[in-house]
Amino acid sequence: MTQENNADAREILVELDHAKKSFGDTEVLKDLSLSVGRGEVLAIIGPSGGGKSTLLRCCTLLETLDAGTLRYGDIEVAHNDADGRAVYADKATLASARRRFGLVFQNFNLFPHYTVMKNLIDAPISVSKMPRAEAEERARRLLARMNLQDKEDMVPCELSGGQQQRVAIARALMQNPDVLFFDEPTSALDPELTKGVLRVIRDLAEEHMTMVIVTHEMKFARDVADHVIFMDGGVIVEEGTAEDVFDRPQHERTRSFLKGSE
Amino acid sequence: MEFGKMMSLLGSGFVLTSQVFVITLIGALPLGIVVALCRMSRFKPLAWLARLYISFLRGTPLMLQLMALMFGPYALFKMQVSADWKFWACYIGFILNYAAYFAEIYRSGIQSIPRGQYEAAEVLGYSRGQTFCKIVLPQVVKRIMPAMGNEVITLVKDTSLAFVLGIMEMFAQAKALAASQVSLMPYVLAALIYWACCLIIEFALGRIEKKMDYYHD
Repeated sequence: MTQENNADAREILVELDHAKKSFGDTEVLKDLSLSVGRGEVLAIIGPSGGGKSTLLRCCTLLETLDAGTLRYGDIEVAHNDADGRAVYADKATLASARRRFGLVFQNFNLFPHYTVMKNLIDAPISVSKMPRAEAEERARRLLARMNLQDKEDMVPCELSGGQQQRVAIARALMQNPDVLFFDEPTSALDPELTKGVLRVIRDLAEEHMTMVIVTHEMKFARDVADHVIFMDGGVIVEEGTAEDVFDRPQHERTRSFLKGSE
Repeated sequence: MEFGKMMSLLGSGFVLTSQVFVITLIGALPLGIVVALCRMSRFKPLAWLARLYISFLRGTPLMLQLMALMFGPYALFKMQVSADWKFWACYIGFILNYAAYFAEIYRSGIQSIPRGQYEAAEVLGYSRGQTFCKIVLPQVVKRIMPAMGNEVITLVKDTSLAFVLGIMEMFAQAKALAASQVSLMPYVLAALIYWACCLIIEFALGRIEKKMDYYHD
């Protein structure tokens, strides 16, 4: 099913509207809007320093917006007050929003002192009160899907970078999020290890997992994404289907970026 | 005086020495965490207060601090203190002083934990308390073990300062024995006992470090 013919039924999972964010005098996001519907894969590409990571960090509540609205389905995380400044919801609302997404970091950020199993089950058990047996069963299923079934008792330092990143993906999936964010998931990996991680993300896409992926892997973005955003200078320069952006870029800035990254 | 009699007097001193050592650790290890957290607080007055505390307690001799606690209540407020106040003065003095040193060691450890660990915990929904106790502190403990070991070894020998308050710990006993026996032997024995304690502690610390060596980051 293409996006066009189910447009009416498109269920919006994440919606960011007129987002603005500055660090000191530097405007990093300049009035930026996007939405992600269920089952969609959105790839965000663009040069370093263009605001991609900040955008992702604002969506995952690691940074706060200066202005704009952010919603996760029916949960309003932030809205503008009368002066046009973003106001965030209370702690409980933010906590329920956090359960709707997972985030995979560039540097994995696994907990080094926990085994693979404990990395996966600790948050569901101690934060969401998931019964241990259920958490372990779910963790084993996810590890099998990541091809890591024999690694549950190891600690992260015993795994390769690619394996660590797959553990991180499994950890992000433990609480069954609506949407999964990836912040340059393969940038810390060498090409050989990158493959395994990209394959896992491809598999998730085929299972219609909703994902937002900041990436430098152009070929991968083109293969896996329904929708592509090219960002530079804190704005969306160009967006559209993967074919639109990669094959028929309208803006000179996009063309030169794509040319440079070939 | 026979050797056995000498050892039993040193032994009775050793009991007090051990008490000062253990009670100081029980008090100062957790208090150090609290002071370190205050020192890193975003609430500036609290951070400055913690800084002042650390600076003063590290910047004045422990012996002087002990004497201030011992004689301060009477000198300042004309308070009559009980006979066992000297023990309280000793424990409080040691705990406050060592907490200042421990706080800086904890701080170095806490600040060495990468931001990504906090961010991962935040995204997974851990509360700030959970993040500190489950994610940060266990990693901090591993990182600060060598520095902590140093301080703990120093504490073994610092306990001898309790003698200025008239507490008959091992060093005070050795001094009294040396005077009454006109012999340096008690000092030699005391030194050997201090060293033996430190060897045991070194061994224990080594075991703990080895146990935490199951991961690196």
